[in-house]
Amino acid sequence: MASKIRTLRLRPLNAKPCNRLYHSYEHPPPPGPFNAAETSILTAALPHIPSHGFTHTSLARGAKDAGYIDASTNLFPSGAFSLVHYHLYTQRMALARHKHILEASAADGKPLGVGAKVKALTWERLMGNKEIIHRWQEALALLAQPSNVPTSVSELASLSDEIWFLAGDTSVDTSWYTKRASLSTIYAATELFMTTDKSTDFADTKEFLNRRFTDSQVVGGAVRSVGEWVGFTAHAGLNVLRSKGVRI
Amino acid sequence: MTSLATYRRSVLHAAHLPVYDFLAPSFIQIPRASRVRYISTTRKLAAIPDQSSNTPNPGQSASSNAPSLKKPLTQAQREFLSQAFRVNQAGELAATLIYIAQTPPIVASHPHLRPLMKHMYDQEAGHLETFNTLLAKHRVRPTAMYPIWTIAASALGWGTAIMGREAAMACTEAVETEIGGHYNEQLRVLVDMVEQMEESGEEVGNELKELMSTIRRIRDEELEHLDHAVENEAKQAQPYELLTGIIKAGCRGAIWISERV
Repeated sequence: MASKIRTLRLRPLNAKPCNRLYHSYEHPPPPGPFNAAETSILTAALPHIPSHGFTHTSLARGAKDAGYIDASTNLFPSGAFSLVHYHLYTQRMALARHKHILEASAADGKPLGVGAKVKALTWERLMGNKEIIHRWQEALALLAQPSNVPTSVSELASLSDEIWFLAGDTSVDTSWYTKRASLSTIYAATELFMTTDKSTDFADTKEFLNRRFTDSQVVGGAVRSVGEWVGFTAHAGLNVLRSKGVRI
Repeated sequence: MTSLATYRRSVLHAAHLPVYDFLAPSFIQIPRASRVRYISTTRKLAAIPDQSSNTPNPGQSASSNAPSLKKPLTQAQREFLSQAFRVNQAGELAATLIYIAQTPPIVASHPHLRPLMKHMYDQEAGHLETFNTLLAKHRVRPTAMYPIWTIAASALGWGTAIMGREAAMACTEAVETEIGGHYNEQLRVLVDMVEQMEESGEEVGNELKELMSTIRRIRDEELEHLDHAVENEAKQAQPYELLTGIIKAGCRGAIWISERV
């Protein structure tokens, strides 16, 4: 009975492999969400997205291009959403390769700060949607379907975690959460803005993104100053009382 | 050394308290089954470099070993390591804050305790720094209860310090007992993990070995604090059983929560 309860309790943890766990530098990373056959079909399907969108058609063409029979699209129970997920996953993994560019592009011989790196990486990630942006609203519709929401949210969280990690952020207090939450919000909003952007080289999107980052800096700065003031006043008050001989 | 150990045990027996001799610092050699186990693991770990230096000589065995070394950690292992890192960071944060809050009232009434409080605080701050670095390096999420533990630990430290030196030391004793026991449990799991990896022919990486030696060192330092607390009349606190009971239960609850959120 006890063991049964234990397995029941453990099942939800084991059922869904979460990639945001202990990251080892000696052991290879655990396998991603897609196996080899799925990866080959989805990779072949990606070039069909600009013309056929995030649809079953793209998936079927990808399967044909990869040398699988048409019925092999049944490998993907969630259908076209697998394409969206694969796009998000590959774009997220591609960010680690941009890191070399970021390290090289040190302005004035100085290495870029964490904030500048986060901005640059977020922009690189948005540019990953450049080719398929006219189809992205289809993907957003799929991402917002209730059955797909857990994956969407987890991908967004993984993306902001990846960006902060690659940028070299080492905070391990409450700001770990606020940083990731604010970056996720900024990214989601900018991505939505980008789908309606008709300017050359997405200049409007870039401005929009910069405004969002400025906003978050202003809000973060205000919260920090209030916190500092409260902390200082409390400390000063305590020390005044101690100097008066109160035993606290 | 043995006479010191027996003396210690007799003193502990005389005071009628549970004998947590498995929590004692490693420099005290108490003959015990679990002790022997720890010693055996250190020996085994020390022997690993010899094995690896012997095996490369025959070329084929080195090449057959090579792929098995590069196995990803299992989901359960990564979950355990994430939980362990998260709990340890939260624990060291709480310990640091307890000492910060205790120091001013204690030092005001007992100035001779200033060096001891500073020594214990410095060690805890070092532990917190260690785990902060490890968390950031291994991408482990810190506990979501961070602000709550901050407030709770400061309140606990300040509250016990107001109750007097004995209560503050009883608080230290209770907390360090729980933390020491918790580190021992973690070490036991890590030793099992390493044994399993060795049995299946995997090489144990430096990451895990370093983690084990770090946890061993930190556990010994925590237990040193426990000894200091007992030396400073932690047992004289009123009501001793109630106070340490509540604090220990709180620690266990905090550990349980921090492992999960």
